[in-house]
Amino acid sequence: MAIAVAKHPVENRRRRTRRLPYLLIAPAALLMLAFIAYPMISVLYYSLQDYNVTKPWRNGFAGMSNFTRIFTDDPQFWHSLNFSVRWVVVEIALQLLIGLALALLVNQTFVGRGLSRALVFSPWAVSGVLTTTIWMLLYNPSTGMTRYLADAGIGSYGHSLLSDPHTVFWAAVLAELWRGVPFFAILLLADLQSIPGDLYEAASVDGAGRLRQLFHITLPHLKDAIVLSTLLRAVWEFNNVDLLYTLTGGGPAGQTTTLPLYVANTGLDGHDFGYASALTTVAFVILLFFSVLYLRLSKFGGDRA
Amino acid sequence: MSRPQHRQRRARPAAGIALVAALALTATACGDSGSGGSGDEGSGKGKIVFWDNNGGVRTDVWKQIIAAFTKKYPDIQVEYVGIPIADVQKKYDTAIAGGGLPDVGGVGTAYLANMVAQDALEPVGDRIDKSDLKGKLVNGMVTSVQAAGGQGKEMYEVPTSANQGTIWYRTDLFSAAGLQPPTTWSAFYAAADKLTSASDNKFGFTIRGGKGSIAQALEMMYAQSGIQDFWDGDKTTVNDPKNIAALEKYVGLYKKATPEADLNNDFVNMVAEFDHGNVGMLQHNLGSYNDHLKALGKDKVDGIPLPPSQDGGVRTVVSNPVDGLGLFKSGKNKAAAWKFIEFAASAPMNSLWSQSAASIPANTGAEQDAWINDSRPTKVAMDSLNDPNTKIVQFPYYLPDWNNITKADTEPDFQKVLLGKMTAKDFADELAGKINDAQADFAQHHKK
Repeated sequence: MAIAVAKHPVENRRRRTRRLPYLLIAPAALLMLAFIAYPMISVLYYSLQDYNVTKPWRNGFAGMSNFTRIFTDDPQFWHSLNFSVRWVVVEIALQLLIGLALALLVNQTFVGRGLSRALVFSPWAVSGVLTTTIWMLLYNPSTGMTRYLADAGIGSYGHSLLSDPHTVFWAAVLAELWRGVPFFAILLLADLQSIPGDLYEAASVDGAGRLRQLFHITLPHLKDAIVLSTLLRAVWEFNNVDLLYTLTGGGPAGQTTTLPLYVANTGLDGHDFGYASALTTVAFVILLFFSVLYLRLSKFGGDRA
Repeated sequence: MSRPQHRQRRARPAAGIALVAALALTATACGDSGSGGSGDEGSGKGKIVFWDNNGGVRTDVWKQIIAAFTKKYPDIQVEYVGIPIADVQKKYDTAIAGGGLPDVGGVGTAYLANMVAQDALEPVGDRIDKSDLKGKLVNGMVTSVQAAGGQGKEMYEVPTSANQGTIWYRTDLFSAAGLQPPTTWSAFYAAADKLTSASDNKFGFTIRGGKGSIAQALEMMYAQSGIQDFWDGDKTTVNDPKNIAALEKYVGLYKKATPEADLNNDFVNMVAEFDHGNVGMLQHNLGSYNDHLKALGKDKVDGIPLPPSQDGGVRTVVSNPVDGLGLFKSGKNKAAAWKFIEFAASAPMNSLWSQSAASIPANTGAEQDAWINDSRPTKVAMDSLNDPNTKIVQFPYYLPDWNNITKADTEPDFQKVLLGKMTAKDFADELAGKINDAQADFAQHHKK
């Protein structure tokens, strides 16, 4: 009896110790269940339903018909997916290249470096709506650059880069670049500053030029930062709605409609939440597949296998 | 080159968490829907929430009406929330799905059927019959409201005003060019042509190519074709050859007499272009009159109804949406909310509001007010509506799909027509097909 009494406090302590981590992560786990798991399951559920709030008489279980329609009877899905891929590839490539160049530049020591860094990073601090407003004013045919060019005899009055099917893509790309480049510049600059200076000194002593130092020291060191930032940014760009929605509305003639914009139009304007949920599910699977593939191919996290 | 091990260990979970969070934004992009709830009559006192469906533009006049209401009913407080007109339907849909509907809200007949289908609005026919509004609302507007949301019987909003399509024109530019007002279609197209000099940044017309383009295109089609009915049996007349010919003429103005940038024109851009540029004519409803007055002054702008299809013939005008006030089912203080609706729709308040909106008042007691005679475009519009030679083409606002079809579904196609990537006939046929399908679906459901 005396032995049993002596054992209890130890067991209790062990039990408490075992429970403690679960108790500590419980709030975060509950929040994730409420704000991530529930909406995801909800979208999956509605993707299998006919669900249009304005036509309740048609609502009900739809099986896989929404998905069949997506892949066999919806040219707008393929068009918007195609545009999304093009948009992501062009944006990420340009944002990475320009962001890297700016990060390398403001990592150097020169007079006015602080101001230069502030200027490089400042677009990141501007909200999406303000960014769009700035660029809409720039592209406005009455108040923007085309008006002043027309005054100077270049181009014509009443022309807007956003309403010309030949220029709208690159006009939108430019606006998004302005906002996206600082993201890469900030992340890459932070990683650049962690590269030991000794490496460059040793490389210089060994006769390596700037270009060799870039390819053999800087870029290998930045690899993880580049992989992570391009992946995150690619997902964000794929999901881009705010800038294109306000800048072009997906037009002209649906030319700049990304897949998420198509989802928004189908759900919010068309009230067809069942089909919009199915589109969302497809977009999620596509992103998940390419994200995992990208991480595998890039051997993210180092040279382990 | 290998990396320090601790960096590798940290990087994978960090990437995982960031990726899951980013992907979750995709997967949660589309969600559930709820319902409006049953609400309560309440005590007739306390606070009510009012959503203005044209916030910003109408804020000042609503503040005046609310101030007068609070003076008369000091125990009722009205919280005003201004919703931009372009977002109003989405805001209502979101509130119906997630909660947070107001007690009273501005509702246009263009989206009334949607809201009735979602069971958000309270029928108000009985309340009208027991109130001072009985027999004082313009019959045509009552009929429009009943047709749009109540299958021709019940009323789900109290009408406050109606609108009409108008050709706005710059009287100073017309005088300078020696042109007569565009009272006929031949005069309209001739003026559009004569007032255009693209190299000098002068254009005869501004076309609505972006959001809201379809309603205006349909208005131009029916006005020119002279077709008096939207339906021929159970098929729409949208793709009648006469309408297609009218559409071809209308879109033919693009780039010939309009700026190229009009392809993306929504209401704001189109009105700004007319008010602040060198554009001779604009097609819009009476609602933009005050914008023109502020920017140009009374002596530089005038508005007339769309011309009849043939000189001296019947004038065919499409039914513009009727604006009104809806009482929400989910409201917890419906008695107070109804008092506010009754007050706002009374003759003096309705007159004040309609003057500010330059629209046609719904209360018959406001029809004879002096401001209507001073507001020439409004007076001319009212006269033309009362003219026996005017026929109104009733749009099927009762179709829950009407707003979707004539907006997100079809606006990109209209831009294709402007760009020459789609013919007017293909556009009209496709639009007609969608409308016919929606009508068949609606008819089938309502037979059951």
